[in-house]
Amino acid sequence: MTDSPRRSPTEAGPAVAVHGLTKVFRVPLHPSRGIVAVKELNLRIEAGEVFGLLGPNGSGKSTTLKIILGLVSPTRGRTEIFGRDSRLVESREAVGFLPENPYFYKYLSGEETLRFFGRLCGLRGAPLKKQINELLDLVGLTKARKRRLGTYSKGMLQRIGLAQALIHNPRLVVLDEPTAGVDPAGSREIRDLILDLKSRGITVLLSSHLLAQAQEICDRVGILSDGVLVREGRLQELIAIENQTELVIADASTHLVNEIESVINRSKAKLIECRKSTTTLERLFLEATAKNDEARASDDQGIAKQKP
Amino acid sequence: MTKGNDLTFQPFNDSTTGKLHRAFSFSRVLAITSNTLTELTRLRVFYVLLVFGLLLIGSSVFMAQFSFQQEFQILKDVSLGAISIFTSLLAIVATARLLPQDIEDRTVYTILAKPVPRFEYVLGKIAGVLLLLAISTLVMSAAFLAVLYLREQTVIQTTLKQLAGAPADQVNEALKLIRSSAFNIDIFPGIIIIYLKACLLAALTLFVSTFATTNIFTIVVMAFIYFIGHLEATAREYWLQEHSSGLLTRIFLAIIALLFPDLQAFNLVDDIVAGTAISMAVFAKTALLGIFYTTIYTLLAAFIFYGREL
Amino acid sequence: MTRTVIALAILVGLGGIKLPIERNLAALHRQEHFRGVEFNLDLREKLGQLGFVAALSGFRAIVADALFIQAHVAWERTEWGRILLLFRHITTLQPRVLLFWDTAAWHMAWNASVAAMNDQTQRLALRVKAQREYFALGKDFLERGIKNNPDRPQLYEALARLYKEKYKDHQRASEFYAKAALLPDAAKFDRRFSAYELSYCEGREREAYELLRGLYDEGEQERLPTLIGRLKFLEDKLAVPQDQRIPDTRPIGR
Repeated sequence: MTDSPRRSPTEAGPAVAVHGLTKVFRVPLHPSRGIVAVKELNLRIEAGEVFGLLGPNGSGKSTTLKIILGLVSPTRGRTEIFGRDSRLVESREAVGFLPENPYFYKYLSGEETLRFFGRLCGLRGAPLKKQINELLDLVGLTKARKRRLGTYSKGMLQRIGLAQALIHNPRLVVLDEPTAGVDPAGSREIRDLILDLKSRGITVLLSSHLLAQAQEICDRVGILSDGVLVREGRLQELIAIENQTELVIADASTHLVNEIESVINRSKAKLIECRKSTTTLERLFLEATAKNDEARASDDQGIAKQKP
Repeated sequence: MTKGNDLTFQPFNDSTTGKLHRAFSFSRVLAITSNTLTELTRLRVFYVLLVFGLLLIGSSVFMAQFSFQQEFQILKDVSLGAISIFTSLLAIVATARLLPQDIEDRTVYTILAKPVPRFEYVLGKIAGVLLLLAISTLVMSAAFLAVLYLREQTVIQTTLKQLAGAPADQVNEALKLIRSSAFNIDIFPGIIIIYLKACLLAALTLFVSTFATTNIFTIVVMAFIYFIGHLEATAREYWLQEHSSGLLTRIFLAIIALLFPDLQAFNLVDDIVAGTAISMAVFAKTALLGIFYTTIYTLLAAFIFYGREL
Repeated sequence: MTRTVIALAILVGLGGIKLPIERNLAALHRQEHFRGVEFNLDLREKLGQLGFVAALSGFRAIVADALFIQAHVAWERTEWGRILLLFRHITTLQPRVLLFWDTAAWHMAWNASVAAMNDQTQRLALRVKAQREYFALGKDFLERGIKNNPDRPQLYEALARLYKEKYKDHQRASEFYAKAALLPDAAKFDRRFSAYELSYCEGREREAYELLRGLYDEGEQERLPTLIGRLKFLEDKLAVPQDQRIPDTRPIGR
């Protein structure tokens, strides 16, 4: 199958547009009182980018995503997907959604689950079969395709969830806490998948409270606090500390380091920190557990060979 | 995780946007229907009820101490009663948890995040239940008819032995009597009416579950409705004819008559077994009433579900 | 919340539409002999709470059957009063089951009446009185059964038999056999029996003769020994001319 050209982000308007969105959850029997989940939210997500909607629990992230998907109706304001009002059913032809802690139907196998959701999107027969095979391959669940979802681990459930979100080739994928509760290896895989989606020109809107992970993959972020958007913009711009610069040097001798230090001391700038670069704990963990897995796999093979 | 053949996944292309969104898609509904059916057939309560029903039908074989007319009467009454109560029970119990379960498990989000109108979702769910009820009714009816046939044959064999050597027309008269006591073609429309009553109850349960807070609430309300529904005919006649009751009583009776379905209208099978023939007019009108109720309750359920915050 | 209120309002509104439809349907049902049972306090008293609820929920056939089994046991114990009571309930619950009316009448007019007559502990006068009362109870069951099942011949035939055997009222017996004969599914012998009974009535011999002769003329299937015997008897009694008489085949007995 040939690779279709990536869509340029400036074509055909923003992927998601939120205009003055307010959502108040009414308390039953007290019409005057209400819980303000989202207040006067304005957002614009361009096609082809990865946008992170961040915030603590209860900040209105999930509510915003649900309103964008037409699952909840706004009290005031409007949301659009590729120019179409979210409340229209057809706006969802272009969206795939992975909710937080999804359960799916435990008694269905991975393959059957994808077939069910594919049929809901109007796919059938050979094209559906092909799509299922490709997606199972993409998320790495081909071996587990016949197993019931009840036997899947959390990471596997998230991956099959991602596959069902992609079943109808959506232009926009919405992920609600995609890596919450997933172990480091699974979480790494999901993040890699997200970057893969981006490389194909698919817009990704995700919400997370795992900030370090979001930092790695998002192009732009918005920070919600108590339903209000307090910060928004390109990630690199937001977190860059304006007046500080980092240099990462390989194979630097102590002499070189001292020279650089003295140059800095002679200028108006100030040296704040000089230390060894560090890898992340995550990379260390993955490396260590991967080595362990390899060793065990070759042990198993050795034992298998020994068996008569 | 493999990345080698990642380029085979087709990203968004024109052929997918070219597909027009259909306002109503039968295949979408069918997908939800068959999924619901699969889900329900995994319910343990379904099998328990079915086995119970079959046992009850089978147990009425032990009525041999009576004359064959009495025996066939009891066999038919008990079997059809079993089919009636078990389809009614199944209708209520299976439907009560359908929507709440999906909402609780959050699977409803993944479904409605697809281009599936809420109406199709509700329709698919109820269609799954109606299909389940149809299968149950067929299985139990088949068992009932098999038992009836076997008993009829046994009685015929015994009678033939007893009447060996008797004149031919006497034997024929006896056989005719046995056959007419056993099988009555009007049992089939009677069973269909029983099925439609179960469909009505399923749709009504779906409606109640859209605004109920818990499963137990739905089932308790349905038990209440079942009981009142059988009294609706009496309430209706009292309200429309009695002139001496107080205002409060009349209001109360009026509410019952207007709000509750007349479930007695669907209990025709007792009289059918007694030998009353069911005319096309009676069958058609009763069936239409059942279909009318089922449709109304389904539409109202969809109406409430449309406004439901998920 | 508001949607729920609107939905309930719609239901009440639709209630106005469905009400006449249901009434018409109920009337149609009653006309076609369905739903002949009133669920009122009277029934509740007779059946007790459990029985009433079961009957109400569409299981009145099973309740009736259960009572019928109890009546069977009562019969084995010759508890005539209990049988009477049970059958009153049973026929109230299932007015369209002929078997129940028939069996009730049988227990009263044939079984209980004989038992009363044979009860040596009572004086003769009392025994006869009891017998007559049981006859009346049996007759009552059949009459009410006929009222509920005017379209079926079996109970007319049973009543005719009762008049014939117990009351020796040949006129009434003839009447009811004739009524039964007019209905679909009537026994083939109803017309014959009606004519036989009429032939025993003083002053109706000519009528009876016409009927019997008519039947005879229909063909071989009606020319049974009893018919031929009665015909010959009437021919003699009415002094029918020789050339109009049936061939002189000697019947077996009379």
